[in-house]
Amino acid sequence: MKVEILIYAYLAVCAAMIGFNIVCIFIFRAKDKRLNHYSQRFIRIVHQTIEDGTVTEAHCKYLSKTLKKIKNLMAFDKTLEELFAQNPQQIKDYIRQLSSVFTYLTLEYKKKSEIQAAYFPYIIHKYKVFQGQPISIVMDTILELVYSPSLYVRENALQAIYSIGSVECTMNALWILNESSYYHHPKMITDGLLNFSGDTKQLGEWLWDHFERFSNRMQRVIVDYFRFSSPDHQERILELLTSQCVDDEIAYSCIRYLGKFTYPPAYPVLTDIIEKHQHDQWIYTAITASALANYPGDRTVAILKELLHSPNWHVRFNASQSLMALGLYYTDMIDVFEGRDRYASEIMRYRFDQKNMKEKEAVGIGLVSK
Amino acid sequence: MGWSVNDTLFMAVKNMLDWVNVLFILYMIGYSTFLFLAVVIGSSELYKKRQQEKLKNTLLQDYYIPISIVVPGYNEEVTVVETVRSLLALEYKLYEIIVVDDGSKDATSQKLIEAFHMHPIRRPIHRKIPCQPAEFIYETTAQKVPLTLIRKKNGGKADALNMGINACRYPYFICMDADSVLQYDSLSKIVRPILEQENVVAVGGVIRSCNGATLERGRVVDYHLPNNILACMQVLEYDRSFLASRILFDKFNGSLIISGAFGLFKKDVVIAAGGYDHSTMGEDMELVVKLHEYCVTNDMPYAIKYATDAICWTQVPERFRDLRKQRKRWHLGLFQSMWKHRVMLANPKFGPVSFISYFYFLIYELLSPFIEIFGVITMILAFTVDLINVPFMVLFFLIYALYNCVLTLTAFFARIQTIDLKITFMDVVKAVLLCFFEVCILRFFMAFVRATAFIGYKKKKLNWGRIERQKINIK
Repeated sequence: MKVEILIYAYLAVCAAMIGFNIVCIFIFRAKDKRLNHYSQRFIRIVHQTIEDGTVTEAHCKYLSKTLKKIKNLMAFDKTLEELFAQNPQQIKDYIRQLSSVFTYLTLEYKKKSEIQAAYFPYIIHKYKVFQGQPISIVMDTILELVYSPSLYVRENALQAIYSIGSVECTMNALWILNESSYYHHPKMITDGLLNFSGDTKQLGEWLWDHFERFSNRMQRVIVDYFRFSSPDHQERILELLTSQCVDDEIAYSCIRYLGKFTYPPAYPVLTDIIEKHQHDQWIYTAITASALANYPGDRTVAILKELLHSPNWHVRFNASQSLMALGLYYTDMIDVFEGRDRYASEIMRYRFDQKNMKEKEAVGIGLVSK
Repeated sequence: MGWSVNDTLFMAVKNMLDWVNVLFILYMIGYSTFLFLAVVIGSSELYKKRQQEKLKNTLLQDYYIPISIVVPGYNEEVTVVETVRSLLALEYKLYEIIVVDDGSKDATSQKLIEAFHMHPIRRPIHRKIPCQPAEFIYETTAQKVPLTLIRKKNGGKADALNMGINACRYPYFICMDADSVLQYDSLSKIVRPILEQENVVAVGGVIRSCNGATLERGRVVDYHLPNNILACMQVLEYDRSFLASRILFDKFNGSLIISGAFGLFKKDVVIAAGGYDHSTMGEDMELVVKLHEYCVTNDMPYAIKYATDAICWTQVPERFRDLRKQRKRWHLGLFQSMWKHRVMLANPKFGPVSFISYFYFLIYELLSPFIEIFGVITMILAFTVDLINVPFMVLFFLIYALYNCVLTLTAFFARIQTIDLKITFMDVVKAVLLCFFEVCILRFFMAFVRATAFIGYKKKKLNWGRIERQKINIK
C-alpha cells in the first residue's frame, strides 16, 4: 500500500471531524436556543396552572406526554429551577401534585439508554419528587440503576433513593453495592447516607440488624456514617470494638467514633489499646491518642505524655495535639520541656507556638478582645 | 563490462537511500497513526464528557478529599503573592497551602509574610524524604485555609518539592508552579478520578496557556488567542500534542508524564517510591515513570489518570530564547528519566506502558529531533546526487503538513467547543494560518533545539531554568 493513501484516508477522517466540530457548534447553539424556547413555554404553562390553583388531569396528561422526551425534561428542569428561585414553596407544592406524572415517566425512562435514564433520578433527587411517599414501581426502577457499571448513573440513583427516604429501599441499595464488583468510593456512600431524608433512627436500627452480613468495607462505611450522624450508637460501637474478630480498619473507625462521642465505659478499652499496641501497631496507638482528647483526667495526661516519647512521629504528633486539646498550660508541660527527649519537647513547643499564633490572630480579627 | 568506482558509489548511495526511505515511511506511518488515534480518541472523549455533563451524568455532590497544595518557588517575589491569593480563592473546602522558598535571593518570603501576616513558628518537620534543611517556617490560620511558608537552603525544584511533601498534613498533595493559576474548580475536578476508581496514585491536570486570557478569581472572563505569534503557536501545539495524546495514554494507564505545573499524587506512595529525584532536570516526568516502576515491581495495583477538566493556567514563553531554554530542559529531563528507568524498555512485565508509551516517547519524542534532522540531511544528499523526485517530495511534504494542520485544528476546535470558551472569527483565522507555521517552521526549529539540548547540560543540572514571564492577567 502506498503511504500517501493512508495519509489521505487519515486526512479525510480528520477533515470530517473538523466538519463535525463546525456542525456541532451550530447544533449546540441551536439546541441551547430551543431549550430556552421550550423553557419559556413551560414557564407560561406552569404559571397558568399555579394561578388556577390546581393541577388538572389535562395538565398531568400533557406533562406525561411531553416529558417523555429528554430535551423537554431538560427544559422543564430549567423552568422549575427558575421558578424555584422566585418562590420555592409554591414550586414544592406544585411538584408534590405531579407524582402521578413522574410515576408514569419512571416507566418511560426505564426504556432509555443508561446515560439518559440517569437524568431521571437526578430530577427526582433535585426536586425531592417522591420524598416521604415511596412508590414501589419507582423504587424498583431506580434500584435497577444501582447495578449500573457507570459510577454516575449509580450515584444519581442513590441520591434519588436517599431523597425519597425509604429505609427498605436504601438498605436494598446498600446490598446491591455490597455485592457489586464495581468500585464505589466509601466516602461517597458515607456522605451520601447523610442525605437520607427518612427516619434515620429506623435506618440505624436496620443497619445494626444486618450489620454482620455486610462486607468489611461496607461495615466500615456504616460505622463512619454513624460517626458523622449520631451519638446514639456508643454502646454498640464499643461492643463491636471489643469483639474478637473485628477488622483493623473497622476498629479504627470505632475508635474515632468513641473519640468524637465521649463514652466513659470506653475509656479502659482505649487505654488498653494503647498499652497493647504501643510497641507494634502504631496506627492503633496514634488514632487512640487522638481519641483521648475527649477523655480529660490525670491518667489521660500521663498516658499522652508517655506517648510523646514514642519513636513514631504520628503517635507523638497526635498525642501533642490531644494534650493541647485538654487545655494544658506551659507549666503543666515543664517536665517535657526540661526532659532529655528532644523530639517530645520540639513537638510540644510547636503546639504552644501554634496556640499563641491562633490567639494573636483571634485578637487581630477581633474574635478575642485585647 | 565492469562498473566504474563512481557507479559503485552511486549504487551504494542509492541502496542506502532506499533503506532510509523505507525507514522514514515506517516512521511517518507510525507517527501519523499515533496522532490520528490521539486526536480522534481525544476529541471523542471530550464530546462524550460534554454530553455526560449535559445529562447530569457527573458527580453533583461535593465530596471533599483533603489536599495539600505544594508551591515550590525560587525568586518569585513578583508572582508569589498573587498565586497564593488565587489559591485561597479556590472553590474547595478541605485543603492547605505550603509554599516552599528554595533559598531565593529576592524577597519571596518577605512578600508572603507581609501580605498574609504570617507568624514564625518552630515546627518540626518529619523528613521522610531527604531534603535540604529548613531555615525558618511561618504559618497563619487566619486565612480561609492553613497557609505555611517554609524557607529552606537552596537545593533545586525537586528538593523543594520533597520538603513540601514532608510538611504535608493530608494524604494527597498537589504540586504546582509558583507562577501558575488554578481554575476555581480545579481541585474538585482533579480529585474525581480518585473517587471514580480504586488505587489511583496520581492524576494529571490540563495545562493551558493563559497568554491572551483574563482571569478573575480563577475564572476566565475574557479569552482570545494571544497576539504573540510564538505563544499562539504553542496554544495550538498544546492542544494537539498534550491534550490529545494524554487522553489516549490514559485509556490504558500509560501516562508517562504529569506536568510539574499541576498534578495530584498520593503521598504515601510517592514517599515509598523515594519522592522527587533532584538529580534530574525533568523531575515531574521522572516521578511518574518511577511510580510505574515502583508499583509494577512491587505488584501493587495502581492507576495514573488524567483529568481533562481540571485546568491550570500558565504562561507560555513569548520569546524564542525562553522557549528554547524550556524545550532544552524538557528534552534533557526526558532523556534522564528514560535512561534512569530503562528497565521499562520492551519489558513485558510493564505491558502497554512499555510497548506503547515508553516506545512512543523513545522514538517520537527523544529520538525524533535526530531522526528529523537526519531526514533533512538525507534529502539534501539525495538532491545533490539527483536521486530525488522533487515535485513528489514537495507534494508529499505538503500533504503531510496539511495532515498535521488538520489534526491540530481538530484538537483545537474540539477543545474550544467542549469547554464553552467563546472565540472570535479572528481567532479562527489566526489558528488556521498559524497552524501551518507551527507545523512547517516551529517544529523544525524545535527539532534542532532539542537535538542540541545535550550541549553543556551538566553545568545547569540543578538550576531552576528561569524563563522571563509576564504577570498573569488577573482582575
